[in-house]
Amino acid sequence: MSIVKLVNVTKRFGGITALRGISLSIEDGEYVCILGPTGAGKTTLLRIIAGLVEPDEGEIYIEGRRVNGVPPERRNAVYMFQNFALFPHMTVWENVSFGPMVKEWSSEKIENVTSETLEMVRLGERRDAYPSELSGGMQQRVALARGIAAGARILLLDEPFGALDARLRVNLRTQLRSLVKDQGLTAIHVTHDQEEALMVADRIVILREGRIEQTGLPQDIYNHPKSIFVMSFVGGANFLDGVVSRVTGSGSTIEIRGGLRIRVSDTSNGAGERVVVGVRREDVSLGKSRKRGFNNLVGEVLDVMFVGGSIEYVVRLENDMTMLSRILLGEGSMAFKEGDMVIVSFHPSECHVFQYPERGLLKEIEAI
Amino acid sequence: MSSRLVVSCTLVTFIIFVMLPTFYLISYVFLRWDEVWYEVFANPIIGDENWRQIIKALIFSFRLSLSTVAFDLIFGVPLAYVLARKRFPGKGLLEDLVTLPLVIPTSGFGFATLVTWTTVAGLGGLLGMRSGLISLNAVAPFINVPFILFIVHVALTFPYVVRTVETKIQSIDMTYEIASRTLGAYSLTTFRNILFPLALPGIFSGAVLAFARSLGETGATMIVSGVSTTASIAIVRWASEFKIPTAAFMGSLLVFIAWVIILPAEIYVSRGRRAHSLSFSVPMNLTRRIIRFERFLSRKLFFIKDIVPLVIVAVAVVIPIAVVLNSVILYWSADPYTGKIEGGVVHQLFGPSNYFSHLLKATLTSIIVALVSTYIATCIAIPISFIIERRWYGRIIRTMLKVPLIIPTSSLGLSVLLLWGSSGLNLVSSGIWMIILTHIVFSVPVVVESIIASYEGSGIQMYEESARTLGATAYNAIEAVSLPLIKGGVFTGFILSFTRSLGETGATFIVMGRDLTIPVLVVNMVEALAIPAALFTSTYLIALSLVMLAIVRVFTQR
Amino acid sequence: MPEVKLVNVTKRYGRIIANDHINLTIKDKEYISVIGPSGCGKTTLIKCIAGIIEPDEGEIYIGGRLVNNVPIEDRGIGYVFQNIALFPHMTVWGNITYGPRVRGFPPEETEAIAREMIEMIKVTARVDAYPDELSGGTQQKTAVARALMTRSRLLLLDEPLGALDLKVRAALRYELRRIVKDLGLTALHVTHDQEEAMSISDRVVVMRRGRIIESGRPIELYMRPKKLFTANFVGEANFLVGEVKLITGEGSIIDLGDGMKILSRDRSREMGERVVVAFRPEFASLGRTCENALAGKMTSIIYSGDLVRLHVELPNGDVIVVKRSLRLYEPIPRAGDEVTVSVPPENILVYPYPERGLHRELSLE
Repeated sequence: MSIVKLVNVTKRFGGITALRGISLSIEDGEYVCILGPTGAGKTTLLRIIAGLVEPDEGEIYIEGRRVNGVPPERRNAVYMFQNFALFPHMTVWENVSFGPMVKEWSSEKIENVTSETLEMVRLGERRDAYPSELSGGMQQRVALARGIAAGARILLLDEPFGALDARLRVNLRTQLRSLVKDQGLTAIHVTHDQEEALMVADRIVILREGRIEQTGLPQDIYNHPKSIFVMSFVGGANFLDGVVSRVTGSGSTIEIRGGLRIRVSDTSNGAGERVVVGVRREDVSLGKSRKRGFNNLVGEVLDVMFVGGSIEYVVRLENDMTMLSRILLGEGSMAFKEGDMVIVSFHPSECHVFQYPERGLLKEIEAI
Repeated sequence: MSSRLVVSCTLVTFIIFVMLPTFYLISYVFLRWDEVWYEVFANPIIGDENWRQIIKALIFSFRLSLSTVAFDLIFGVPLAYVLARKRFPGKGLLEDLVTLPLVIPTSGFGFATLVTWTTVAGLGGLLGMRSGLISLNAVAPFINVPFILFIVHVALTFPYVVRTVETKIQSIDMTYEIASRTLGAYSLTTFRNILFPLALPGIFSGAVLAFARSLGETGATMIVSGVSTTASIAIVRWASEFKIPTAAFMGSLLVFIAWVIILPAEIYVSRGRRAHSLSFSVPMNLTRRIIRFERFLSRKLFFIKDIVPLVIVAVAVVIPIAVVLNSVILYWSADPYTGKIEGGVVHQLFGPSNYFSHLLKATLTSIIVALVSTYIATCIAIPISFIIERRWYGRIIRTMLKVPLIIPTSSLGLSVLLLWGSSGLNLVSSGIWMIILTHIVFSVPVVVESIIASYEGSGIQMYEESARTLGATAYNAIEAVSLPLIKGGVFTGFILSFTRSLGETGATFIVMGRDLTIPVLVVNMVEALAIPAALFTSTYLIALSLVMLAIVRVFTQR
Repeated sequence: MPEVKLVNVTKRYGRIIANDHINLTIKDKEYISVIGPSGCGKTTLIKCIAGIIEPDEGEIYIGGRLVNNVPIEDRGIGYVFQNIALFPHMTVWGNITYGPRVRGFPPEETEAIAREMIEMIKVTARVDAYPDELSGGTQQKTAVARALMTRSRLLLLDEPLGALDLKVRAALRYELRRIVKDLGLTALHVTHDQEEAMSISDRVVVMRRGRIIESGRPIELYMRPKKLFTANFVGEANFLVGEVKLITGEGSIIDLGDGMKILSRDRSREMGERVVVAFRPEFASLGRTCENALAGKMTSIIYSGDLVRLHVELPNGDVIVVKRSLRLYEPIPRAGDEVTVSVPPENILVYPYPERGLHRELSLE
């Protein structure tokens, strides 16, 4: 049974439509990431589920019950703010016992639940500390414990790592996921960090301008992006625009700027159509010689950069377009330096072909 | 839902106790226009003499208030900058000194200034003269208002400009100034181009507050005004002579003027960013010259802005208080110049005139008034603050709350008298209960401002939402989370309003009947020429307020 | 020309030493990044160079000139702020031309430089737009243009991308580097994001508790970090505790306990010394591919795009991470499978065991 279900949810703020007809259902125990750029409506969606904002249209069901108009305290969904919103005038203990207290449980039960949850997040020793005395990571654990102690079945996480240092974020991701999984909770996690979403989610929902652009398993989204936007937002890619020049049974040929031709396995577009070819940076390799069965283009290395365990090459092709190639360290491939002439190779089956977007290519991939 | 009930009750209470009195005066003038017309413009005996007096008093008040505000701005803005941006030892003390005139009772303070400048016990005596340094009616050059009156008004309004501008500058991100300097602008150039335009709304509202305060000041003005009559003093005098229609007409004129000033100011300030983008087109060589001049000032003469405001604070605030203290000691047992015991503090307090028993009685009245009115005001202010923060009409309420803060208190007193007294609803007669009703009116905005200051920036909404999703009801969340978070603001507001009530003179004069408060007693003593007794009472009053200020200081620093 | 030199720069705040005898030279046209955890003193350092903070001790030279008592406005620097700090009451054009205006440049010259700068930095916004009408990325580009308008050759970047979306951040990295290189500027970039620092700069300086721990080219810092802290901070790594058993011509053999041994080419440690062995997850491969082979059990698998992270539990209970590219089309074992992990000896780093204990040394909080 789905624990959270949205049907055709729409929300407007003044003249701006934050969400347009969102329908989504989330299974019990699922870890879902809602991924999208700033202003996509992610936080509004989360606040609507929590009951902090009422939708203009559409229905919300939690545990099978329609909850439109039901106040937040009767929804069993705990909202975790980006900066954790621990009550500054209460100790760790008082914060965690807040939920049980307002629910007027017996004092013995409050005691038990609170100490159990605090032990679970390994903060039993800091029970008398005030939130301001704790590090960011500890505050996050207190916030989590506070939610769990309140008996929440659903955790609504709004950019839970946004307030932490970049390096620390990476460490805490897996911790958060395993805590949620161990407790058998359902998590809805909002983020704009695609790497974070790929690593922690069971399922990813991609939001863009208030609409769901694609939903699916992380690997499916990465391997089969439905649009240029998704491919660019999740993982990033090289995009080459061109025109289909020939279609055969085994694939088609696309002519890009400067008369260069690319073979792709995809055959969904007819000859003469304007298309965009997307190739992941990781799928582009550099070498000294042409590879059989691959697209091989000649280029010059413009810049070499070092990105988190990988080397990224910026290569200028003969037609002045640039392509990026990313190679994981330890793969033992050849090293190149600025000014080297190289052969850029990528396989036709790794080319994703999209129709040329109405609003122009730049609009779909431009992040700035 | 019950929350709707709470909101409606709060709003009704608020309208009856706070808003109604501030508007009643105007409606009174309209309802009894025949009477007013007869008294003011067409009196069979004196003709329009009252109207001519109204005009005279208004013109004098405007001249005084405008020159006061101009002076405040010239010296207050640099001081506000220093307080907002620099860290130096003694900063807390300086801030307290600037704020002091806000909390010390104005009649006591006015008397202190009077003694300092015009009597042999003050600066004159210290400089070896046989009389005061200047005479009471000496007129300051250019602005053509009595010098003493001007000093008192500057001291009393200076804090409004300094504190408002200081708060505004603190809210402006310092990186703008640093950015400007990394781009090559000298400090003064940076001030002119960046800080000044950004702080303009704050400077503007500070000036409006100071202007309104000066226009409505009664307590100190009554003591130092000599032969001049300001608009608010005129109201008190007419009210005590039972020339109610004339007083009401003057009072509603002042309320109207206050409105005319505050509304555009509020709209201007709330219009936000681009409203204050100033651009002048100046020829290039002039710009260069300005920049070179600013470079010179930035380098060489920067200390001027640090020193001059300090001197003003010292002269206008510190010296009078010190002189009063000194005088009480000098006059303790006898007049030090004539040697008569009748001129000593002890004789006047415990002698035949027995001012001490008056003082005791007045103290009791003052404290009951301050406690009761502040308590009721706080009870109204807490829910009102929540309504202001959460309802779409909050902004309107907040603007309306500015009215009791800036309309002259004598107008306010008159309004309360007319509303609740025998000529209106006839529910309360002059005396302690009417004083309380009057004080509630201006105490509510004081407490509300203080609560809102601690509310905003504390992220209460987020904490409350968090509490709600953890299972707390709306009421639970307010009780367990929001109230503890604004506790400091409530407390500070309570003390500020208590002190304000303790020192209020203008309105109290009109509604007190036979129940004297301490500040009124000071005025009476001065009018009865019982100077040593007035010295003692002023000191006593100032000391009481200083204790209050100290409590706030300790509490807010924690 | 703008070579920056810091000699023994020290800044204290009460008992806290924010900068402790910092010595650093930034060469002309060098792009240098300073990284470190929150509170390591990197922000104090850049502010000292700009003149926003006066150091307690030490000298700062910019282009050979001692600038200790030179006010901010005369240091000839361009400064970019984390919170962007475009003047909210001025348009894009007003912001960009602010520097030349307050320095009294002739209007024609100001206009010419501004046009050139807008072109160069690709400020796509309308010049009459106000800052709050622009996206974060465009705002920051405008701020960079503003900083460079006074023709300063030294660009100080104080967490310039910190306030932006990740996606925008990644895109602006390239832009920043391109601008600095195309204009031949000297740049100092402060950030807490090690990946950003590694990808953007010629040299990276690692700071911790007010001191410079080490500095070097990004690839050197990644492949051969001299300090355990750096190995942990500049990227993911596996850490195992052991004891040096034998030093041979090939390198040193380290005993990890429970019968596990590992060979490193590093011979700098002594026999019997307690050490920490570190290696990057991407240098580990599955199967026995070299002499260093550790047997263990797969506990979990995490996919992220083209990468997969395999968590392998060793016989002593330690869990190591192996990072593989899916493009290699290797068979991926399942959780519970017995696997062998190999790491080439040249990728095994060895450090003395930290006095404060391994856990605390690795803690970033």
